Amino acid sequence: MNSRLTSLVRKELIDAIRDKRSVMAGLYYALLTPIILAMVFSAVISKATSPEDITIEITNGPEASHLVKHLRAKGIQHSDNSTSRKPITLVIGQDYAAQINRSEPADITLIADYSDDNLRSSIRRTENALRSYSSQIASLRLITRGIKPSIINPLKINLQDQATSDSKGGQLLGMIVLMIVLSVFVSGMNLAIDTSAGERERNSLALLLSHPISIRQLVVSKIIAVSVFGLLGLLLVMLISRFVYPLVPWEELGFSVEITYGFMLIALVISTFVAVFAASMQLFVSFMAKSFKEAQTYITFVMFVPMVMSYATTLDFAVEELRWAPVSGQLQALIDIMKGKDIPLLQLTVSCLSTLGASVALALGMERMLKSEKIVFGL
Amino acid sequence: MAVINKIWPMTTFVVILSWPVMLFSQALASGPEESKGFCYVDGLAERLRCGYVSVAEDPGKPNGRKIDVHYVVIPAVKPIYENEALLAIAGGPGQSAIDNAALFNSTFSKVRETRDILLIDQRGTGRSNLLSCPEDTALSPLMVDERAFNVLAETKKCLDALNADVAMYNSTIALNDFEAVRQALGYKKLHLYGISYGSRMAQLYMRHYGDSLATVTLDGVVPMQIPVIAVGLSVDRALAGLLKDCAEDVGCADKFPNLTVTLDSINSQLENQPIVVNTFHPVTGDPTEFFLTRDKLLSILRLSMYSTTTRSLLPLAIHHASLGNYQALLGLYSLMMEGIDLAAGMHNSVVCAEDIQRVNSTLLGEISASYMADTLYQALIKACSVWPSHATNPEFSNPISSAVPTLLLSGELDPATPPDWGTMAMKKMTNAVHFIAPYATHGVASQSCGNELIAQLIDTANIQTLNNDCLDEDQSTGFYLNGSSAQMLPNNLLKEGSL
Amino acid sequence: MIKVTDLTKKIGNIQALSSLSFSAEDGQITGLLGPNGAGKTTCLRTIFGLLKPDQGDASINGIDVASDPISAKQALGLFPDPFGIYERLTPREYICYFAELSGLSRSAAKNATTRVIGELQLEDIADRRCKGFSQGQRMKTALAQAIVHQPKNIVLDEPTRGLDVMSTRVLREMLRQLKEQGHCILFSSHVMQEVASLCDRVVVMADGKAVAIGSPQELCNRTNKTSLEEAFIALIGTDEGIAS
Repeated sequence: MNSRLTSLVRKELIDAIRDKRSVMAGLYYALLTPIILAMVFSAVISKATSPEDITIEITNGPEASHLVKHLRAKGIQHSDNSTSRKPITLVIGQDYAAQINRSEPADITLIADYSDDNLRSSIRRTENALRSYSSQIASLRLITRGIKPSIINPLKINLQDQATSDSKGGQLLGMIVLMIVLSVFVSGMNLAIDTSAGERERNSLALLLSHPISIRQLVVSKIIAVSVFGLLGLLLVMLISRFVYPLVPWEELGFSVEITYGFMLIALVISTFVAVFAASMQLFVSFMAKSFKEAQTYITFVMFVPMVMSYATTLDFAVEELRWAPVSGQLQALIDIMKGKDIPLLQLTVSCLSTLGASVALALGMERMLKSEKIVFGL
Repeated sequence: MAVINKIWPMTTFVVILSWPVMLFSQALASGPEESKGFCYVDGLAERLRCGYVSVAEDPGKPNGRKIDVHYVVIPAVKPIYENEALLAIAGGPGQSAIDNAALFNSTFSKVRETRDILLIDQRGTGRSNLLSCPEDTALSPLMVDERAFNVLAETKKCLDALNADVAMYNSTIALNDFEAVRQALGYKKLHLYGISYGSRMAQLYMRHYGDSLATVTLDGVVPMQIPVIAVGLSVDRALAGLLKDCAEDVGCADKFPNLTVTLDSINSQLENQPIVVNTFHPVTGDPTEFFLTRDKLLSILRLSMYSTTTRSLLPLAIHHASLGNYQALLGLYSLMMEGIDLAAGMHNSVVCAEDIQRVNSTLLGEISASYMADTLYQALIKACSVWPSHATNPEFSNPISSAVPTLLLSGELDPATPPDWGTMAMKKMTNAVHFIAPYATHGVASQSCGNELIAQLIDTANIQTLNNDCLDEDQSTGFYLNGSSAQMLPNNLLKEGSL
Repeated sequence: MIKVTDLTKKIGNIQALSSLSFSAEDGQITGLLGPNGAGKTTCLRTIFGLLKPDQGDASINGIDVASDPISAKQALGLFPDPFGIYERLTPREYICYFAELSGLSRSAAKNATTRVIGELQLEDIADRRCKGFSQGQRMKTALAQAIVHQPKNIVLDEPTRGLDVMSTRVLREMLRQLKEQGHCILFSSHVMQEVASLCDRVVVMADGKAVAIGSPQELCNRTNKTSLEEAFIALIGTDEGIAS
């Protein structure tokens, strides 16, 4: 009984590993996703963070020579080169010097496209530099009038942030974990189709069933094979992520992304449930399909559900209930672990059990299906 | 912020090398709330790692009384160099490094991207068995008369209130605590940053535990050869520099001609008789007297020169005072009258053991010639006469021999540690470079690009590749010519005005 | 011995089998001859328990397929049509895999595989992947799979379909050997020649029923025809769907 299961699983795996399409599906995902994500994140970060020195257009600068000096100390300078400078214009009012010398509000206009993501941080930086200059003058004016400047800050607001440097990544971390967990679905997908719809298309399903094995053994062996493939994809994605993500300059955003071996181990354990579920679901759907092509279409539809569910957990407005649901529960737990929080044991247990329950139901459904003449012979 | 304590007005002078001097004083840190090894410090929203190492108060009695030396680790954002940390050592002597965590964090944000920043409250400061002196809140600091202050009595009172063997709080003993913390935290190598008096601790570290160091930055350097009391002389140098800068500045020279004469006359006026100004309290707005003594004026001048921002107000403040308007002086004094969280007892323990007895006849001659230096010296002589301490041995004064990559930073405008002190400190260093920032005051790291040079040194451990061009950029505020701004009117407006 | 009794099966609206009864004896080659759509494949699938008859039963060596499919199938070898070759496996792996599924231990399966590869002279292709194999090579691989576990009963579904002459000769030779070894061989075919030359007994099927059962000679005698072909036409009334 057991040795037959071993034989079945062994054959499925050998067959799968030799299937270029199945291997490439997992491999492409594992290789490309972290690399593409890392590149995207790097691009986003370089957009979000302003370079050390920026050049903008400052008109009427001599009128406010001290302000220009202050801006230069903050890495903001005027440039006549309209192609290399940021499309930000700082217009010094005509009466600036006179106004500021009379302690009247001096006119400064900051012109830019405030909706431009590329400019946002540079605009903010310019604003902050202007504000710090303004408050410096305010303080000194108060001092010359015999007043302690700190009285204009009636509240001293102390912030105590409970985030760890790992948890600051927030949504980005959620995305990274999501991509890692999705590898379980993607890596096993082609194998799931090949070993079910493909098996039937190649006429080997009837031959298999003509042998003295139980349908349950057959179903279990296929689930195991597809799960193993999913988990191998997961392992690969994590290994590659481990080396690729550190190349992204996360620290410029004030957090770090590190995929430790400890995390990988926990992720493997937790994702085993997800992998079994993914395998059962994909096999179930593929067995229903009449051909390889049809199975691909079905699976694409079905994949949508866990993807949306998982993605939802990474959003801020995610419903709390998702933490208990299959797949999204495990995902949420992994995000928590990645963020350095405690493992939400109860939620994780519940979601793992429900995942397992769903897998068993799907497996039983598959067993029934394969007992049906209609499904096996397409009658 | 530096100085001037309510009841300890003499600390104006006793406090020798405080850093940082921040213009707009942030309220000082509440104690870290330690739980599970995490805590928060004032001005930083982040969770930090906190802890302490218990050490013997008297290293000669390992089983005797224990004190807890507290530390805070500002964790690296991306801990690539887990076995290294930047140990930032605060000034004073007597300032708490942990209280200055926010400033160190912003100054060394680049270093922190990959390395932890380690802050240790040196024994006798902050949270490590603080040796502070009791405050007398009865008298308003605006009205205090420094001449009536009895240093001896106050020092005795302070000593009585302390529960510590104060002779055990000098630099050499404290150094062993630093090394104990390094070992407890498991750092293989430290990068040092010592500011002001902290540069002495850093140099001692180089001398005694050089193998534990990867790089060293000495900022606002106090060379081993010089007792800190000599800072009194530096004030005169800095003041001369200020007057010269004003004379050479078109606007300042035009608006405040003969500023040197003006200042001298105010000084001599105050020497004869302090001025009583009827005014309003700079914080509460209540009517009050401002009892302006020569000591107060000198502390205002001295401490205002620690920051380029407040320095820019001084010509105007002197000019206004000569016209009988003391509001600017009052405003500047308001920045310092709250005093700083400086452990006066620890300050005495260091200075009495390491500095007072090293004043030789040559130095004494120079000190006697300077009102500022002499006032400081006389107060310390009195304080140290009752303060228990063990004088350091003569080798203490030897310059440091070291091959550790070392960056020395000095500010040309520094009112405490002049640039030639840096040159003196590196005399026997074989792998050191000394940069002088022409527009910086005390503490170059937090001004101009000093912090970037330090980050580069820490990354490369190579002094050859450091480029100090960026230090030459003038980032100063410019002298305030009126109570509104430092911005001069363009020429055409000036002409119109003169017409 | 394979025995079916009163098999009746309706697939959709078509009466695929109706009261089909016959038996295939050990040491004999029994042929199921009938035109396409006569119910041959349905009958074989029922023997393997893949289809459930509406009525009647099939038994292998006296074991009822419906009540103990595992034991029944253990005594069966199937040469399917189409072959169902795994193209990414080598014949050795393929044969060994099915040997294991038929209940042999891994080591026994390996030995049996080596033996059957020798018998069928598959050595030169045994360790090449099946992709790109000729029809003859595939046939040999499929046959090896069917007999590797030395089942008492061997069932072949249209075994010569698509085979070249040489392969067909090899197959026939093999079947004769198996018969001599005492195996019970049942195969379905719509090729008259094949049935005539190989079979000891012929079950002529039409419309899901056994029209006649007997040796080719008996069938000729019964219909007073000289050739099986003519006997066949006489039996089912047409030669449509049958090849000579």
